[in-house]
Amino acid sequence: MTTIAATSAPARPRKLVGAGRRQWVGLLYVAPAVALVVVFFIIPLGMTAWMSLHNWPLMGEHSFIGLANYWAILRDTRFWNALRFTGWYTLVVTIAIFAVAFPLALFIERPRRLTGFYRTSFFMPAVIGFASASLLWSWLLNVDSGLFSPAAFDLGLTEKKVNLLATFQPAFWSIIAMVVWKVAGFTMIILMTGLQSIPSELQEAAMIDGAGPFARFRAITLPLMRRTLALALILSVAGSILAFDQFYIILRGGPRNQTLTAVYWIFNQSFVSFKLGYGAALSMILLAILVALSMVQLWLLRKPEGVD
Amino acid sequence: MKTMIAGLALAASIFALPAFAADTANIWVRADGSNFMPRIVDAFNKAHENQIKLDIIPNAEIIPKYGAAAAGGTAPDALSLDLIYTPAFSAAGQLEDITDWAKSLPYFASLSPAHVKTGTYKGRIYGLPFSADSSVLIWNKKLFKQAGLDPEKGPTNWAEIEADAEKVNALGGDIKGFYFSGNCGGCNIFTFTPLIWASGGDILSGDGSKATLDSPQLRGAIDLYRSMVKKDLVPAGAQTDTGSNFFAAFAAGNIGITPSGAFAIGALNTQYPNVDYGVTFLPGKDGGWSSFAGGDNFVVTKGTKKLAVVKEFLDFAYSLEGQTILAKYGSLPVRGDIAKEALKDLDPRYQIAAEAMAKGRTPYTVVFNDLINSANGPWTQMVNEVFFGDDVDGAISNAQETMQSIIDQAPQK
Repeated sequence: MTTIAATSAPARPRKLVGAGRRQWVGLLYVAPAVALVVVFFIIPLGMTAWMSLHNWPLMGEHSFIGLANYWAILRDTRFWNALRFTGWYTLVVTIAIFAVAFPLALFIERPRRLTGFYRTSFFMPAVIGFASASLLWSWLLNVDSGLFSPAAFDLGLTEKKVNLLATFQPAFWSIIAMVVWKVAGFTMIILMTGLQSIPSELQEAAMIDGAGPFARFRAITLPLMRRTLALALILSVAGSILAFDQFYIILRGGPRNQTLTAVYWIFNQSFVSFKLGYGAALSMILLAILVALSMVQLWLLRKPEGVD
Repeated sequence: MKTMIAGLALAASIFALPAFAADTANIWVRADGSNFMPRIVDAFNKAHENQIKLDIIPNAEIIPKYGAAAAGGTAPDALSLDLIYTPAFSAAGQLEDITDWAKSLPYFASLSPAHVKTGTYKGRIYGLPFSADSSVLIWNKKLFKQAGLDPEKGPTNWAEIEADAEKVNALGGDIKGFYFSGNCGGCNIFTFTPLIWASGGDILSGDGSKATLDSPQLRGAIDLYRSMVKKDLVPAGAQTDTGSNFFAAFAAGNIGITPSGAFAIGALNTQYPNVDYGVTFLPGKDGGWSSFAGGDNFVVTKGTKKLAVVKEFLDFAYSLEGQTILAKYGSLPVRGDIAKEALKDLDPRYQIAAEAMAKGRTPYTVVFNDLINSANGPWTQMVNEVFFGDDVDGAISNAQETMQSIIDQAPQK
C-alpha cells in the first residue's frame, strides 16, 4: 500500500493529509483480502506455532513444554529419513515433470492442426484431484485385478504377474510415472504461456543471424523464460515436498516404510500417535525448510544484471 | 455404502420423530456398525420416551473427529468405540467412570471378558461390551470337494492347513490355496496372533508393558505362512494388500482357506449366497484353538448430562431383544448367559464364532494404534517382512526393539 501511495504521489502532488486519507482508502480496498489471509493463514499459523510448544494430545489436557518438541525432532531419525526421501522424490519428480512438460509445451505452443485437441488431452489429467488419481492408479497397479501386470503377463512380457508395489524401485517409479502423468499437463500450460510471450522478432532476427534451433533455444528461449521457469519450478518443488496423497493411498508408505514422506510422517504423528503438539512442531520445521528453498530458487532465477 | 446410506437415512428419520421425548442423547458409531446400530437405535426409540440420536462416522475418522469434538465441547454423550482404543481413551481422562453402575448389573459376570478387560483402566471400568467379532478360519466347501477333500471337515492344526491348501491349489487356474492380507497390521493381529496364542505364545505381556515377539510359537506360525508363500499357494497380491481384500478375496470363490472373522458369516450369507463355506476355529500348531476378541466397547463421555438416557439404552441393548437384534444384523452377542438363545434362529455357523468369542483375547495396551494398527508401525512392517522378506531374524528383532521403545515412551499417568 505504501508503494502505491508513494508511486502515485508525484503524479498528482497533494498535501500530506490527502495522501494519508488515500492510504486509508487503499487499506479499505484490501481489507477483504487481508481478512481472508488473517483468518485462514495468519491465525492458524500462529496456533500451530503455539501448539508446537505444548504436549498436546488429541484427547485430554495439554501442557506447556517449551521447545521440548523441537529437541525431540533433532533425535527423530525417522523424520529425517522421511525428509531425505522427500528430497530425493522432489528432485526426481521435478526433473521428470520438466523433461516431459517442456517438449510438450514446445510441441503445442504454435497453432497447428489439432493443437486444441492435444492441449486439452495433455492437460486433462491435471484437473483430476490427487486422491482420485491415486485411487485410479492403485487399481491400475494392482497385481491381481489391475492393468499393467496382468497385461504384461498376458502379452508374454513377464513369466508371471509381477507385483509392482512389492519392492522399492518399481513402486517408486510407478509413483513417479503417475505424478508425471497427472502434473506434466499443468506445467506444460505454464511453460507454454512463457514461450508465447517471447516476441517472434527475436527468434527471426536470430535466425537471420544464422543461429540454429539449439542455439536459439539456449540463447533466446531459455533466458527469456526465466520468470516462467521460476514459477513452474517453485510450484513443482513446493508441491512435491508436500507430497502425501499418492504415497498414502497407493503405497501406505510401503514397501516396508521406504516411501514415507515428511507430510506422511507429520500425519502419522498427529493422527495415528495422537501427538498434535509434536505434529505442529514438525509442520513448523517443514514450513521453514520450504520457505528457505523457495527463497533460494527465487535467488537463483533472479533477473540477471543488464537483462530486461 | 448402501448400508451407510440406509443407516444415515434411518438416523435422520429417528431425529425427525415427534418430540414426546423427555430427553435425547447423541451416540456415535464407526461405519463397521452401520448395519446393526441403526436397527437397535430404531427399536429403542420406538419403545422408549427418551430418544437416541445416532451418527455414523467413517472408521478412520472417528478417533480424530471425537478428539476434536471433545476439545470443542461438542462430543457425543456416548460412543461405540473399537475396544482396543478403550485403554488409550481412559488414560486420556476422557471417559466417565461407570464402575458402580456396571457392577450393579445382574449379568455383569457374563459380559464378554475381553471387552471388560480392555474397558478397565487402573481398576476402574470405563467401557462395557457393545458389539463383538471373533476370528475364525473359513474354507470353501466346493473347492474342497473338487480337490478330493472332505468338504465338511476344516483343518484342525497347522499341518492340515498347509496340506489342504496345497490340494486346493493343485486345482490350478485362478484357484489358490490360502489367502491373507500381508501388509495389514489390523488384519493380522486379528487372524495371525490366534495361531500363536493357540500354541501357547503371545506377542505382549499381560499388562502390555513388555513386547514378547521372539518366541518359538511366533517363529513356527511365520514358517507356516512363509512355506505357503514359497509354494505359491497365496496370490501375489497378498504381499501388498493393506486390508482392502481381506474379505473380498475369499468371497470371489477362488480361495481354499482363509483366516477371517465372524463378520464374514453375515457378509457372505447376504452378499455372496452362492459361496458354500465352513467355519472352524483358528488352530494351534498341534491342535487347540484361539481367537481375537474384537468389536466395540460402549463408553460414556466424561461429564455428559444424559447419563440416564445412555444407561437406559445400554440396558435395552443387553436385553434378550437387544442381543437378538445385534446378532441378526452382524454382531455376536456380548452377554454369554443369553448368547445361545439370541443366536438360536440364526445360521448355526454363528455358534462356532460365539464360542470363539467367549474365549477370545485382546492385547491390552494404551498404544495399540502405534504398535499394531498403524500401516507404518512395527507390527505391520514385521508381518510383511517375515512373510515375504529374506531376513526373518532381523525383522523380528527390529520389531521387538521398536515396539518396546514405543511402549516405554507412552505417556505414563
